[in-house]
Amino acid sequence: MESISTPRISSQLIDSYVGQNVMVVGKVQQLRGDTAVIDADGQITANLNRDAHLVNGNAAQIIGKVLPDLSIKVMSSVDLGNNVDFKVAQAVVDATHQCRDLFVFDADKGGMMMG
Amino acid sequence: MGDSYGGGYSRTSYNAGGGDDAGGFVYGGSQGGSQSAHYLTLPTSSRRATATTPCAPVTIKQVIEAEQAYPDAPFRIDGLEVTQVTFVGMVRAISPQTTNVTFRLDDGTGIIEVKQWLDADKQDDTSKQAFALDSYVRVWGRLKSFNNKRHVGAHVIKPVADYNEVQYHLLEATYCHLFFTKGAPAAATVAVYNWLSNSEGGNEGVHANIISQAMKISIGEVLKCGEELTSAGVTYTTVDDETFAILDY
Repeated sequence: MESISTPRISSQLIDSYVGQNVMVVGKVQQLRGDTAVIDADGQITANLNRDAHLVNGNAAQIIGKVLPDLSIKVMSSVDLGNNVDFKVAQAVVDATHQCRDLFVFDADKGGMMMG
Repeated sequence: MGDSYGGGYSRTSYNAGGGDDAGGFVYGGSQGGSQSAHYLTLPTSSRRATATTPCAPVTIKQVIEAEQAYPDAPFRIDGLEVTQVTFVGMVRAISPQTTNVTFRLDDGTGIIEVKQWLDADKQDDTSKQAFALDSYVRVWGRLKSFNNKRHVGAHVIKPVADYNEVQYHLLEATYCHLFFTKGAPAAATVAVYNWLSNSEGGNEGVHANIISQAMKISIGEVLKCGEELTSAGVTYTTVDDETFAILDY
């Protein structure tokens, strides 16, 4: 049992999460070496680790830390195939932030400026 | 707007934004006049029978934060008694023990241990059950506390085949939380919302007078519903305070 959250965010919210671990669900738009560009209500650059197996054009879920340049250093990535409804994914991001009580432990207050 | 809330709990028919005038809220709840103190309990006397206690869809954070008034007291979520829960999570670790298999599940809101007890008679099929690390599973189980450490005793663990189920579950948990903490929106309010979303008002919105005529309800009622929808953030007022449009991003 651990009170640690990786909030689901989109690119619109990323600048509030610098230094924190987050989760992003989006569409892989570009794969170049160990960098991926993921579309989640806007583009997010992800620095992948070695064991990433993402597929261009497919949906992906990445978990990682937001760096000061607003890219994400990925710790875990999963290919989700091509049957993910991104509108629903965005709805979950909205729910996460409208009902933080259900989704986010704010233990790490170091990140501050939580909306 | 008849009170057609049905008595029962039905999984998938909330019908968000749909056109039928019941608004699609099918949970047996306060509107049905029941004083039920149970999450998703049917408004009947079957409440005591554990076998029929419905499962509350929850996030792992809610499981971790479920309150117990004293040790061994029933768990409470949103102030309501909860024994059975269902949630989704990514498998972070699997540790087989002599009497059970312990999984660490993470849904992005928290991490919880889930124990699946081994049935000596059916050892074979339980030990065959294998989940890949970092894959999503859905759990139906019971909240437990042992040595002050909370875990979930799983009845069933199933792999999630479609990622949309993860999203669906999180939205369902949100819906239930809002339903039980804020109550269901009034049927008339839902009807006005549905009417508005099917109208051609677009960004300019529709004036309360037109809504009133079309829906055959009083202008006062329309304004009340409009105000409620606007404060909930799903509509906004446009040219004046009496013209409403759907907030559609």
